[in-house]
Amino acid sequence: MNAYLPVFILMIVGILFAGLSFVASGLLAPRKKPTAAKLAPYECGIVPEREPPQRFPVRFYLVAMIFIVFDIEIVFMYPFAVVFRQLALFGFLEVAAFSVVLFAALLYLVSNGALSWGPAVILTRGMPSRTSESTITRISATKSTDGQAA
Amino acid sequence: MTAADPLFSGSGLTLAVFLIVLIKVVVAFAVLMGAVTMMIWFERKAISDMQSRIGPNRVGPWGLLQTLADGIKLFFKEDLIPAESDRFVFKLAPYLVVVPAFLIFAVIPVGGMVTIAHHTFQLQVADPPMGILLVLACSGIAVYGVMLAGWASGSKYPLMSSVRASAQMVSYEAALGMNVVTVLLLCNSLSTRDIVNAQGGAFWHWNLIRTGIVPFVLFLIAATAELNRPPFDVVEADSELVGGFNTEYSSIRFALFYLAEFMNTITMSAVMVTLFFGGPAGPIPNIPHLRWVFPILWFTAKVVAFCFMYIWFRAALPRMRYDQLMDLGWKKLIPLSLAWMLLVAAAIISWRWALVALAAVVLGWSGLTWAFELGAERELADDAVLPTIGQRPLPGWELRHITDGDEDWEMDESDEDADSDEEVEA
Repeated sequence: MNAYLPVFILMIVGILFAGLSFVASGLLAPRKKPTAAKLAPYECGIVPEREPPQRFPVRFYLVAMIFIVFDIEIVFMYPFAVVFRQLALFGFLEVAAFSVVLFAALLYLVSNGALSWGPAVILTRGMPSRTSESTITRISATKSTDGQAA
Repeated sequence: MTAADPLFSGSGLTLAVFLIVLIKVVVAFAVLMGAVTMMIWFERKAISDMQSRIGPNRVGPWGLLQTLADGIKLFFKEDLIPAESDRFVFKLAPYLVVVPAFLIFAVIPVGGMVTIAHHTFQLQVADPPMGILLVLACSGIAVYGVMLAGWASGSKYPLMSSVRASAQMVSYEAALGMNVVTVLLLCNSLSTRDIVNAQGGAFWHWNLIRTGIVPFVLFLIAATAELNRPPFDVVEADSELVGGFNTEYSSIRFALFYLAEFMNTITMSAVMVTLFFGGPAGPIPNIPHLRWVFPILWFTAKVVAFCFMYIWFRAALPRMRYDQLMDLGWKKLIPLSLAWMLLVAAAIISWRWALVALAAVVLGWSGLTWAFELGAERELADDAVLPTIGQRPLPGWELRHITDGDEDWEMDESDEDADSDEEVEA
C-alpha cells in the first residue's frame, strides 16, 4: 500500500490548494450584495425567458449506455494484455472471439442508426450534394452583376 | 514483474522515507504549477506569433509573468454564485476538476533513479502497480467535474455544454483505453515505470515504432478530444455556447477550471511521452555527477514538443461539428483501435496469425461499411427507431436554383429591376 501514499498526499495537497484559494479569494474579493440582475443566469444581457431544458435528445443517453458496454470490454482487455505472453495463442483466440461478439454489437448499433448524429443526411436528401463546381457556379451567379459593372 | 519504488523496499515507512515522499510531492506540485503558468504564457505567445500579433509583453521579461498577474487579479474579483444554481454542487465541481488533474501527474516517470542520503528513489511521485489505470480513472472523474459544473449552474448554455462534454469525453475514453491496451500487450505491466523501462535504449525500442505508429495517432486524436482542446472544443464553442460549462463561474473558481485545463494538457502530453516515446529515455553523455539530469531534460523536451503541438492544433485547425466529432469517435477510432490491437496481438504470436487477423479485420471493416449504409438508410426511413436530430429546413428556392441550375424557376420582376438599378449606380 506504500506505493499509494504519495498519491494520497498529492490528493490532500491538491484539495488544500483549491480550498485555500477559495479562502484567500473570500478574504480578498469585494463583498457586496449582488443585484438580482447580476445573479440571473447569463443570457447576453437580456432577461431569460425560458428555463434551462430539462429533457435532452435520447441519443445522449444512448451514448452513455453504449459507452458502458465498451468500457466493460476495455476493462476486460487490461488483465488480458498484462498476462498476454503467458497466455499466448489461447489468449489471442479468446480475445478474438470476445472482440467478434462485441464487434457484432457495434454493427447492430450502427446499422440501426444508434450512433448517427446530425442533420447532414436530411439536408442532402432534397438537394444535390455540394461540389466545388456547384459552389463556383453559385458564387459567380451572385457576383455576376458586379462583374458586368466592372 | 512490477518493479516498485526502491524507496519503500528498505525498513518500511521511516521518518526519512516519509520526508522524501513529502518533498517529492511538494516539488511535483510546485513544478506543475510553474509549468502551467509557463504553458499559458507559451500558448498565448505562440498563437499570437502565428497570427502576427505581439501577445503578452508587459508583465515581466517577454510577458513571462502575465499568467501570475492574471491569477492574482482573479483573487481580487467578486465571487458570484448565481441564484439559480445548486450551491453545494456548484462549489464542489472545481475540486472534482482540479484534484484529478494533479493526481495524473503523480504516476508520470520524470527521470531515472537518484540516491540522496543513502535512500535510492525514482524520480516519479508514485509508482503504484496500477499506474496507467490511475490515469484513466482520473480522466474519468474529471468528466464528473465538467458535468456537475454545467448542471449546477442552472443556466442554459453551461448545461448544454456539459451534456456535450460528457458525451464527448465518455466516447473518446473508450478509444483512449483501447490504445493503451495495445501498448500493454508489448510491455506486460500496468506500472508506468515498467512501461518506460521496456522502451529503454534507442528510439526504435519506443512503443511508437513497436506498435506501428497507428495506435499513437489514434491515441493523440482521442487525447485531444478528451482534453476538449481544439479542433475538438465543441464544449466551449464560443459562437454557440457563450463560454462553455464554466460560463457562470467567476473569480478563483473560474481560475481553477482554467488551471485544470492547461494542467491536463501538460499531463496528457506527459502520458503520451510515457506510453509511446520512452518517457525519459535518451542518450546520456558520460559527465560525472550530472548523469541524472539528462533523463529529466529529455523528458522535458519531449513534453514541450507535445505542448507546442497542441498549441499548433489550436492555431491551425477549425473546430469540428458535433456530429462529425461523434462519428469520428465511434465509427472510426473505436473500430480501428480494436482492429489494430488484434493485429498487434496476432503479430506477437506469429506472422501467420497476423495474416489471419488482417483478413478478419478487412472482413470486419467491409461489414462495418455495409452497416453504415444500412444505418443511413434506416435513419431516414419513416419507421426509424430514433427521431432525427436538428432537422433543418431546406434552403430557399432561390439558393437551390443557383446551386442546382435547371429547374422551373423564374426570377421575380422586382428582383431584376433592383439588380439593374445597382448596375447603373455602380
